[in-house]
Amino acid sequence: MKPDRIFALAWALVLAFAVAPVAAQQPRPAAPASAAEPPPPLGALAPANLAKPRPQAPFDLTGTWFIDQRNSENTWRFNPTGPFKLTPAAQAHYDAAKKAQAEGKVYHDDIGQCWPAGLPIIMTRVWPIAMIQKPTAIYMISGFMNSLRTVYLDGRPHSDPDIVVPSFNGESIGTWEGDTLVVDTKYFVEDHHWIDSGIPASDQLHIVERIKLLNNGNTLEIAYTMSDPKNWEGDWKVTKRWTRVDDTDIAEVSCLPDLNQHMPSTQSKDNVR
Amino acid sequence: MRTLVVGCSLAIVTLFATAALAHHSAAGIDQTKSVTITGVLKEFKWANPHSWMDIDVADDKGQTKLWSVEMTAPAYLARAGWTSKTVKPGDKVTVTVRPMKNGDPGGLFVNITLPDGRVLGQAPAAPRATQ
Repeated sequence: MKPDRIFALAWALVLAFAVAPVAAQQPRPAAPASAAEPPPPLGALAPANLAKPRPQAPFDLTGTWFIDQRNSENTWRFNPTGPFKLTPAAQAHYDAAKKAQAEGKVYHDDIGQCWPAGLPIIMTRVWPIAMIQKPTAIYMISGFMNSLRTVYLDGRPHSDPDIVVPSFNGESIGTWEGDTLVVDTKYFVEDHHWIDSGIPASDQLHIVERIKLLNNGNTLEIAYTMSDPKNWEGDWKVTKRWTRVDDTDIAEVSCLPDLNQHMPSTQSKDNVR
Repeated sequence: MRTLVVGCSLAIVTLFATAALAHHSAAGIDQTKSVTITGVLKEFKWANPHSWMDIDVADDKGQTKLWSVEMTAPAYLARAGWTSKTVKPGDKVTVTVRPMKNGDPGGLFVNITLPDGRVLGQAPAAPRATQ
């Protein structure tokens, strides 16, 4: 092959590789509609989904919120205050946690080891939580490790259990009932996921939240009903309140690998892991 | 250098704020005691979710131990008058902490006495609420 032809071939190859990524980013033409297949579902932020006609939402949670601790410093906790019955496996964790606490030790503090807090405790983690409400979804970003929770309002059902990816915050579907937003959440992970110290969460955890906005929009109230047949009998019910905080934003917060090197309370050899 | 002045807890509100904003359990912290240490600041980190200080503290026998002091988030330190330049490595500082129950050299930050005599704490975790 002559040098000039080799040169031309090399340029052709360079151009081909240079153009390929650009072409890959071009929007694909819509697939031809098929009478047999329904159109793919729209994402919550798809303009066509946002533009669908819907009743006006009774309230808008958009804002930054902070768990109200004015009446008690323990309002962030979800452990039951009344009688409760745990399953034997959960009771073993609970008893071990009590024993560790009595000895001044930390019991399975997975959050301290950078595992996600997960629902429900991510809602009350004593960090501000930002909420952005759109007609199709509410996005909640906790100041604690920037945990993202999405509550879908666009009428979609829960996902197919064989397809859904379990998560620490679960899958939340919201529906309006009068002036109340009812949010149904399931599909949780159970490893390293705790309701409170010594009270584990499982993949059977099911949480229903009845959400209201009070006090001229400055108080957020959520009534929780939680069941988890792997860990306790019956429903646990608790109501929490948050206060709107307009002087606060959500910062970037990450649990970096070297954070705990300087935290004696997470590094202690006495911690029960 | 003087070390280890142990006394009763005087600032429950500050203690709770510290513990509550932490990213971890405070079960290993002795919330009924305070310990005051004086030493040379080795490192100060201004970061989320915690700021922290590592302080070289010498005991009466001249043995030096490294104390790690867990602090709250910078947003709440700033509300108490802190900046990222309030202290720097090499500064001689006096710091009061809630100590570890097991005696490890470290604890949760309560306040600091700076080389110029100023005393800084940290603001409660709860922001100023809209009423």
